[in-house]
Amino acid sequence: MIEIRNLHKSFGSLQVLNGIDLSLEKGKVLVIIGPSGSGKTTLLRCLNLLETPDAGSLQLGETTLEFNGRRKMDKQKVLKLRQSTGMVFQSYNLFPHKTALENVMEAQIVVQKRDKEAARKRSLELLAKVGLSGKEDAYPHQLSGGQQQRVGIARALATDPEVMLFDEPTSALDPELVGEVLKVMKELAAEGMTMVVVTHEMKFAAEAADKVVLMDGGVILEQGPPQKVLQNPSSERASQFLNVLTSKE
Amino acid sequence: MDDRKIQIVIDSLWPMIKAALQYTITLALISFVLGLILAVLVALVRVWKIPVLNQIAIFYVWVIRGTPLLVQLFIIFFGLPSVGIEFDPFPAAVIAFTLNMGAYNSEIVRAAIQSISNGQWEAAYSLGMTRGQALWRVILPQAARVSVPPLSNSFISLVKDTSLAYTITVVELFQVAKQITATTYEPLLLYTEAAVIYLAICTILNALQSVMEKRLSRFSAQ
Ligand SMILES: Nc1ncnc2c1ncn2[C@@H]1O[C@H](COP(=O)(O)OP(=O)(O)O)[C@@H](O)[C@H]1O
Ligand SMILES: [Mg+2]
Repeated sequence: MIEIRNLHKSFGSLQVLNGIDLSLEKGKVLVIIGPSGSGKTTLLRCLNLLETPDAGSLQLGETTLEFNGRRKMDKQKVLKLRQSTGMVFQSYNLFPHKTALENVMEAQIVVQKRDKEAARKRSLELLAKVGLSGKEDAYPHQLSGGQQQRVGIARALATDPEVMLFDEPTSALDPELVGEVLKVMKELAAEGMTMVVVTHEMKFAAEAADKVVLMDGGVILEQGPPQKVLQNPSSERASQFLNVLTSKE
Repeated sequence: MDDRKIQIVIDSLWPMIKAALQYTITLALISFVLGLILAVLVALVRVWKIPVLNQIAIFYVWVIRGTPLLVQLFIIFFGLPSVGIEFDPFPAAVIAFTLNMGAYNSEIVRAAIQSISNGQWEAAYSLGMTRGQALWRVILPQAARVSVPPLSNSFISLVKDTSLAYTITVVELFQVAKQITATTYEPLLLYTEAAVIYLAICTILNALQSVMEKRLSRFSAQ
């Protein structure tokens, strides 16, 4: 489903991704962990081309892209790739001028050109799925952080993506609201959604991940099944980082 | 006040209101709408730093903001005919005020667009929207809300500035006051009457502004 080869990305003189190789099969959950500034967000943003990699290649579903310096990308391909991914942001980024329902309907109407009734029906289903029936007409500012993030998930699901990308979806939330979001994510995983999740929730990683990647300084330090990476890392640097994380919990 | 003065006020009221409706408000409305379209285009050129157009936009805003409106009016109406470009008074005024609004409001619109967090663009892009769709569906509605107060101020200034159009013979409200003064010799009375009518228009506009701000704020707690 996802195949990343030798991906490089720098901002000015700052090398942020330094040759990432990664693959993920359909229906699997990949959890990315790593210290702050290690390039996790950048890698995730490269997957839906919010950032354009400098070099390497990316295959996602049926779309394959080769990156080569400043060469312009095919706009249609970019849009297609973005439609086949859904992204959930750390700070939700809901549209504040639209209700929960309108947030979920928006891309169906504007991007997928579904008719309004169909979009509405699908959006109601999705809001029910994330446990927000009854909140359709609330504006984002009237919802708790956990509720907003669940609208964010429903919005990202609305275009029927093949892959869902999550960038620290619970790290802006009060601790008591984390659970409701993780629950929705676990249900998605159980339904066979392909997911890439940047998170520091070790319990989620241990329970839901099929594969864990530990990044540091723009490279992949460790990757493998969660038991292996989380409990038995092969490098000193990795065990140090994991110790810091687990001691915080 | 003696009866004669009262009669003058009453007799001049309708001609002045008619001039206000027919020219002052029409001129302000047309120029504001055209100017706003221009302002959004200029703002986008500047936000996206579109090559060449960006330089032209910067130059345009610099010139308009750095020269008096009265001088711009004179150049368009009295100056351009000497190079063969002639306008009737009303279209000349529309052009001058549109250019003026376009320049000032482009700064307002640009600031409003830039005040919307980048996360909104990214959310729109991540859903597969094009830049135009993101702008139209996500950014501009939010920018509109931010810019209602400054744009309203701008419109109210414009209503008052249309009085300058009397200099190029547009028969707007102030022109009519001036004409009646010439036959009645009551400048204090008639100019005050004109001032009261401007004041009434601006008061109504202020009220409309509040209504609009309330409606637009319904989706936000701020
Ligand atoms: N748009 C950008 N411009 C410049 N530097 C950036 C940009 N985005 C991220 N960076 C830098 O890249 C590095 C990696 O960032 P990021 O991918 O956000 O890391 P993480 O998500 O692992 O904390 C950081 O040093 C960050 O400051
Ligand atoms: Mg990050």
